[in-house]
Amino acid sequence: MNSEVVLEVKNLKTHFISNKGTAKAVDGVDFVLKKGETLGIVGESGCGKSMTSLSILRLIPSPPGKIVDGQVLLNGKDLVTMSDEELRKIRGNRISMIFQEPMTSLNPVIPVGEQIAEALRLHQGLSKKQAWDKSVEMIGLVGIPSPEKRAKQEPFQLSGGMRQRIMIAMALACTPEVLIADEPTTALDVTIQAQILEIMKDLQRKIGMGIIFITHDLGVVAEMCDQVGVMYAGQIVEHRSAQDLFKNPLHPYTQGLIGSLPKLYEDQDELQTIEGTVPSPYDYPEGCRFAERCPFSTDICVQKQPILVQYDEDTKVRCWKYTDEWQNSLTRGVVIP
Amino acid sequence: MNNVLVEKKPLLQVTELKQHFALKKEVIFQQRQVVKAVDGITFDLYAGETLSIVGESGCGKSTTGRSILRLDEPTDGDVLFKGESLPKMSKKELRNVRGDIQVIFQDPYASLNPRRTIRQMLEEAMAIQKVLPPNEREGRMLELMQHVGLRPEYLERYPHEFSGGQRQRIGIARALAVNPEIIICDEAVSALDVSIQAQILNLLKKLQKDFDLTFLFISHDLSVVRHISDRVMVMYLGKIVEIADKSALFDNPLHPYTKALLSAIPVTDQTKRGERIILKGDVPSPLNPPTGCRFHTRCPFATDLCRQEEPALLGLEKNHSVACHYAKELSS
Repeated sequence: MNSEVVLEVKNLKTHFISNKGTAKAVDGVDFVLKKGETLGIVGESGCGKSMTSLSILRLIPSPPGKIVDGQVLLNGKDLVTMSDEELRKIRGNRISMIFQEPMTSLNPVIPVGEQIAEALRLHQGLSKKQAWDKSVEMIGLVGIPSPEKRAKQEPFQLSGGMRQRIMIAMALACTPEVLIADEPTTALDVTIQAQILEIMKDLQRKIGMGIIFITHDLGVVAEMCDQVGVMYAGQIVEHRSAQDLFKNPLHPYTQGLIGSLPKLYEDQDELQTIEGTVPSPYDYPEGCRFAERCPFSTDICVQKQPILVQYDEDTKVRCWKYTDEWQNSLTRGVVIP
Repeated sequence: MNNVLVEKKPLLQVTELKQHFALKKEVIFQQRQVVKAVDGITFDLYAGETLSIVGESGCGKSTTGRSILRLDEPTDGDVLFKGESLPKMSKKELRNVRGDIQVIFQDPYASLNPRRTIRQMLEEAMAIQKVLPPNEREGRMLELMQHVGLRPEYLERYPHEFSGGQRQRIGIARALAVNPEIIICDEAVSALDVSIQAQILNLLKKLQKDFDLTFLFISHDLSVVRHISDRVMVMYLGKIVEIADKSALFDNPLHPYTKALLSAIPVTDQTKRGERIILKGDVPSPLNPPTGCRFHTRCPFATDLCRQEEPALLGLEKNHSVACHYAKELSS
């Protein structure tokens, strides 16, 4: 696989400031996305995965939201400090995005083909005719039958699966380097989801874009992603290859998450659960944010926030268990009679 | 366990249940269009079991749950609860039966009155069904809160003060308050995060054991269904395509649709999944369902027979029925 880095996110912090206080929705996220690679970002509701994706293209509603720290480097160029005008040339052109509900992202009164063509005229400077032809070609490419006819239809005339295909066609029309997919198949039925995932993989092979795939569905991650970042309370707690993650999760939260999943090919009497609830983003604890729910938690976890430990070459985990301090604290804790 | 169940008398018998919705005419003199959401389904629900209904959106699984309880009046067919016909009951009789058959919905927030405390809600439910004399209700409420894992002081709180998982626990407490025999769970855990979903699923299983409950569990999530069910029924466009014991359905699915559905589910362990069958196209509209077998437009094995003649739901093996002309050939 080509190891060229396309997108690098460094210490990204997006906070929401209101009279209730400061909600640290994204609180120090780092990752790199390589060309042709799919990076999954998983976590439960409120963990900051969608906010991370929106922050990349500066789509955070501001105020109250604000990127307070960090860099988002697209081929070395920082999107956080870029002017709005420059950023507009990148959005939908070099980085595109697809969302969960296509109906809310499509204009309801404009034919879908025209909506795709608009992006092509704007970003690629194609003529009206060229843009339309390319638009029809894209609609065919995402597996919609009779694309000439469909291109002239309005969103309400299409099914949910077809609308999501249109979104993909629109996102990929300008052959972007990065595609951000935020829960793109969550609203779809499984048989349709299988179709859409297959098309995304297929187009990735053809176009070679890097995909950031945001989802709460661990099964989808296993199908789609090369690398996975597991988010909890605004931070990435574990980052490793998808294969290793599911075989041998390191962080206690990841272990709990995978354990609580009902298995399709196994009978279980009782599901593993994670006790307690996620801490409020307005008031994160001093130490590890998972300590309160963690079965392994000790004094050090409550007192000090763990750093992202380099576990092996391409694995990082934010947990005291994998540090030297942990070993020391354990031996010190043993009372010799 | 499943073999014993079959000998038992069914608690709920659904026969040829139909639920059609007539659409408004768009043009005068236009023939009225009818959505056949549920189109003649027959099944039994035995005491103490969990029967799941699975299928994709628009297959009629939720409508089935609603017509059983007459939340929508069924168009045709019969539902017998302990031998008594629900569709023929008067409003008053029906109200009594609704104490025996309770529902838990997907979005607990939408089904809890935001202006009532948990205490008021539980009390109202018990008062309507006259489950206990008023002076004994307090004790019962505290018991219920304990059963569903909520602190007793939460009784005084309002729904907005709870998280999604806690709200679902409240929904469960309210359903249990009237001592039901059957609980219809309509996508009861679909809106929850997996770690919370696991808590609720464990709770439902425990309560079933403790109170001898019978569940009709409606869900689109086959992993959840595998975890909770004894038997599973697969629906497609208003019809039952396959019904079987859980292990038979998951280990040896017979209908091509069930096979495709199972293979489409993304799983974390990639080595376990068989070859993926990707179905062509979308689910057809229930307004104008295909002739013959409703699945023929997407079925890789469809023939002229499938296009013309509707297959009957036939028992192919013990406790395993399937509606496919070629089920036998395809299974071997």
